[in-house]
Amino acid sequence: MKNSKLTLLAVALAATFAAGSALADGNTITLGAAVQLTGALANTGRYYRDSYNFAIEQINAKGGVKVGGKQMKLSLKLLDNQSDVNLGVRQYVQLLTQDKVNFLLGPFSSNDALDDSSVAEKYQVPMVQGGGASGQIFARGYKYIFGTLPPAGDYYASTLEMLKELKPKAKTVALIAADDSFDVAVAKGTRKLVTAAGLQLVVDSQYSEHNSDFSSLLSLTKSKHPDVILWSGHEPEALNFIRQAKSLAVSPTLMYSFTVGVPTADFRKALGKDAEYAFGMTPWLPNAALKDEWFGDAAAFAKQYQQKFGYAPDYHAASGVADVEAFAKAIEAAGSLDPAKVRDALAKVDFNSLYGRVKFAANGQIAMPQTVIQIQDGQVVPIYSDKFLNKPRYPLPAWTKR
Amino acid sequence: MELFAQIVVNGMLLGGLYGLMALGMGLVWGVLNIVNLAHGALIMLGGYAVYYLYTGAGIDPFAALPIAMLALFCFGFVLQKLLLNLIVRSALLNTLLITFGLDVVFTYLAQLAFSADFRTINPPYAGNNFSFVGLTIPVGRLAAFAVALLLAGLLWLFLERTRTGRAIRATAQNLTAARLYGVNPKTIYALTFGIGAALAGAAGGLYGVVGQITPYIGVTLTAKSFVIAILGGLDKPLGVIAGGIALGVAEALTALYIGPTYTDVIGFGLLVLVLVSRPAQIFERA
Repeated sequence: MKNSKLTLLAVALAATFAAGSALADGNTITLGAAVQLTGALANTGRYYRDSYNFAIEQINAKGGVKVGGKQMKLSLKLLDNQSDVNLGVRQYVQLLTQDKVNFLLGPFSSNDALDDSSVAEKYQVPMVQGGGASGQIFARGYKYIFGTLPPAGDYYASTLEMLKELKPKAKTVALIAADDSFDVAVAKGTRKLVTAAGLQLVVDSQYSEHNSDFSSLLSLTKSKHPDVILWSGHEPEALNFIRQAKSLAVSPTLMYSFTVGVPTADFRKALGKDAEYAFGMTPWLPNAALKDEWFGDAAAFAKQYQQKFGYAPDYHAASGVADVEAFAKAIEAAGSLDPAKVRDALAKVDFNSLYGRVKFAANGQIAMPQTVIQIQDGQVVPIYSDKFLNKPRYPLPAWTKR
Repeated sequence: MELFAQIVVNGMLLGGLYGLMALGMGLVWGVLNIVNLAHGALIMLGGYAVYYLYTGAGIDPFAALPIAMLALFCFGFVLQKLLLNLIVRSALLNTLLITFGLDVVFTYLAQLAFSADFRTINPPYAGNNFSFVGLTIPVGRLAAFAVALLLAGLLWLFLERTRTGRAIRATAQNLTAARLYGVNPKTIYALTFGIGAALAGAAGGLYGVVGQITPYIGVTLTAKSFVIAILGGLDKPLGVIAGGIALGVAEALTALYIGPTYTDVIGFGLLVLVLVSRPAQIFERA
């Protein structure tokens, strides 16, 4: 009796080890990431979960990645950082030390990317992130962080260029930005752009990211009668701002623009008619002219994504796909999985994808123009990139006249 | 001068809603000695209830408030009777732990059931406003303020003038004496918690009209309710509403004259001030 029990135990243990080693076969490249799947930023975090998965699936379906002479598959180890920056940092350390992933993909939001990139730098494993635009992430001389969102400080560049060409001409600007890394970077860059454009800043206010009441700021803004309101923050605050602006009858004379939220479908759904006339920006639109090695083109990608996940992709999703594709290209160019070699290959990538041209500047951040968009009749209409694409609805009518 | 007046009015209107949020928490704290850390989650659930009544059944949000209140009352009643009754006279730490756990459970169940998408309760009149002596008064916030005052008034009447209300106050003041008079503490506790939950539900519905609802709004709202409940004297409804209005005005003035990032400093600063100046009154309740 005792003997057969021992034998059974031994056989079971051996089988477990065999199965274990079968999983750790030398044919998979694991990408690790800690993304907001729950918590306050989960609404945008899901774009990264779905785009990472979709890109990896598509690349694997077309044969995977060629490393040296061998075809290898990609796999994703995804953790939920619960929209908590500190947890995200611990999770990235875990991904590298315990799970031993090969490379890292980024979280959403500049605050998270700022801290998580320090982990990548410390362990000298490259991270490509598509969720943080703040220049602060790339201003520390780090070598192992790359980003596919263009610099936050430049977000309003094309908008201000567009304003120069519109009549009646804008003279005064109200700048309202939050206090997190992304918005501080936007505000810093925008102040310079506004001065360079010869416009006067009549309101320059910062609000707390977690405070949802804008009534004092709105009343202050109303008393200054600005032509233009340039607003920076994340989606929930944008929704609050617009609804409260309507309830307090605050409206700029000519136009208002928001850094985040305008391109997404649930922004329009939550606001309904109140979303009309809002300007925003996006580095990406599902344009069939953007060709891609694995997805065909951006329009086809958008259609498949919508079918697969039940909601339309925006630039966050396209940025996530670009991150995975950048790794695929860099690994093939490097011909190895050595982190330092792949890091050097990433610094040199230059290819066209459904997101646009993927090429990182010396500090690791991509450079891409923002296309100015406007919500017209419930649709996102591209208005201006370096010339007018469509006619803007300008100036903004007062709330009572809409 | 006009800007100052507008800011004060903004603060008062929002403060009324804050006061309503804190009413339920203060009542439960004063009577059951339970600091309900899941109070914000109850507000959130009330918000979703009104949201689905409005978008699913087309009932006007203000008409849906009584329905949501009833639903939350039953939920709170059952929750107290089955779960919280187990720890009602034990150490404060236990109540904090269990209500914290409930908060986590409610939040994540809500995320699973409703997803993290933002929900706004947007009846057509919500964004309207009207002019009054040169000030812009938003209709949505004014209505929320009016409902808050009404509910606080009703609660005060209930506690002062009805038999059950007197029984609740008696239980809070002296449990042994109340039992001698035939009060059944278990029922009173469940009833009080139910009323607290119903008030939270109403606050949630109104919050959805002026802001937006996600599963995660609970934590910040619990913190605010905590501050206002203490400012207002826990189970004194009119005091809590006054505390809410005071906080609303203080935050609005801070946002304008000091800076919007300092509003939380003011909120908790006021709390410290109150605790320092009237500690005896607070400690004998808590």
